[in-house]
Amino acid sequence: MTRFHIFRHGWKVLGAAFVIFLPLIVPEMKVHMATEVLVYCLFAVSFNLLLGYAGLLPFGFAAMFGVGAYAAALMFNHLGGAPLVVVMVVAAASGLVSALMIGAFCVRLGGTYFALLTLAFQMFFYAVALKWRSVTNGDDGIPVMRPELYLPGFGNLSLMNIHNLYWVTLFFVVLGILAAYLFLKTPLGNAVVCMRENEERAAFLGYNTYLTKLTVFSFAGLLAGLAGALYALFQEFVATTAIDANMSFAVVLMTIVGGTGRFSGPIVGAVFFMLFQDWISDITDHWWLYFGILFIVVVMYLEGGVSSLLNTSLIKRLLGRKALE
Amino acid sequence: MSALTLEHIYKDFSGLQVLTDISLEVEEGERHAIIGPNGAGKSTLFNLITGQYKPSQGTIRLMGRDITGRSVHKIARMGLSRSFQVINNFPKMTVFENVQNAIVSRCNKRFNIASFLDRSAKIHQHTEEILHSVGMMEAKDMTATELSYGWQRKLELALALALDPVIVMLDEPMAGLDVEETRGFMELIRSLTHGKTLVVVEHDMDVVFSLADRITVLSYGGILITGSPEEVRASEAVKNAYLGRNAGAAGGK
Repeated sequence: MTRFHIFRHGWKVLGAAFVIFLPLIVPEMKVHMATEVLVYCLFAVSFNLLLGYAGLLPFGFAAMFGVGAYAAALMFNHLGGAPLVVVMVVAAASGLVSALMIGAFCVRLGGTYFALLTLAFQMFFYAVALKWRSVTNGDDGIPVMRPELYLPGFGNLSLMNIHNLYWVTLFFVVLGILAAYLFLKTPLGNAVVCMRENEERAAFLGYNTYLTKLTVFSFAGLLAGLAGALYALFQEFVATTAIDANMSFAVVLMTIVGGTGRFSGPIVGAVFFMLFQDWISDITDHWWLYFGILFIVVVMYLEGGVSSLLNTSLIKRLLGRKALE
Repeated sequence: MSALTLEHIYKDFSGLQVLTDISLEVEEGERHAIIGPNGAGKSTLFNLITGQYKPSQGTIRLMGRDITGRSVHKIARMGLSRSFQVINNFPKMTVFENVQNAIVSRCNKRFNIASFLDRSAKIHQHTEEILHSVGMMEAKDMTATELSYGWQRKLELALALALDPVIVMLDEPMAGLDVEETRGFMELIRSLTHGKTLVVVEHDMDVVFSLADRITVLSYGGILITGSPEEVRASEAVKNAYLGRNAGAAGGK
């Protein structure tokens, strides 16, 4: 083992420890923010399965996120006492089903048509959320009571405690991101990349391109639905903001700024997006303006996104190659 | 049994008649060449057989099974694979990964999520076998775009063969190669397609006449003649329509 390996693995262990013990280290306000960041990390990772790996750019990806959020909120309110895990699973499944419905129409198309048709479906879902007042409360939204989590050995944990909520969110987010990571290592995950690289050639090799794209779209929808459910849990409130165009574009922006070429790109992007928002909204009300400028700069001059600044070769260079070998 | 049967195939593109009454039988194990002047309909015929286009009329059978109008991927899975005239691979993937994509399909693991691709010994082994057979092992870690043009042509052949097809269809496999490369490549094709049914579209007459068991000559969307190289060489109609007056010398186009 070279010193560089030790450095790299040590860095990973330290990072993991920081994420796990974060609530014990930072002030409570920051734990709130970190919990929200986690939710967006999962959302962005699921989005990048499409943009980065399948080569699909859905402008309306918040549809699945919103469906998951509403599904969770309705279950928390109407099925009091349903175990948290059940709610999460059902919310993720609702994301999957809505993705299947939308994807069945959209993945036949490519490029701009795909992007815009997903946006059209999302606007449709948004309109339903806005107008179906008897279920969704329209603009006013649905307040959510965080349930207690029964954990064998620990008894009932209150999720009103932000530390507990952070760890529960972390658990589901890590589970979701791990699922995405492992998915990409399977033959099906490889087939998804073939769709991005050369769909026509893949078809002539026997790949059913429609089903392959529908599968990854649905899987991404499942993870987005889970992220939406965690969002509902964190916000204690779900309204149309969970399913509107802003949410769709936010995930596009954070993923592209983070970098679509790496698995960690969207995670870096989500963290960066939230930190930047937190920092600059103290200074100005027009934070979207500044993020927009940043977005342009990244797209034009930083091909691999912000995450490319964190890669090991750069760290190597900064710390001096010799010192580490 | 015929490996490939075309029965009265017609194809028109919104009124433009491209192929007229094409009937053709390719026997199992036969090397069949399709030639014809530019615009004769060779590529269209190729695309009809491989499922990219649907014929306006007629029936196409693969090993006796009707494949008319089936989708591209189903025809590929039934044992018909093709190469392309213009290089068509996975440009940013390595040579190994390119071939591996075909092997995954051949092993029916396209939708498998129960294993990791890089841990599958069977896929790894089959991929290396193909790379050995075309002599590309040394280039396996290069991306497809890094390859020289000649090697990209080889990769094109490797992708077609990796599916272990019943019928291999090669669309101008020598396109753009120089004389030296063409000779080597022809020997490679000859040895690798041994015992397989081969359908090839090619402009190089040296290749066509020395490789093919039978030749079909297309002209203006119809079949002029199907026969052995000797029969085709002797045909007055072919001389007039295509090869020019010195047909026997097998000159170029």
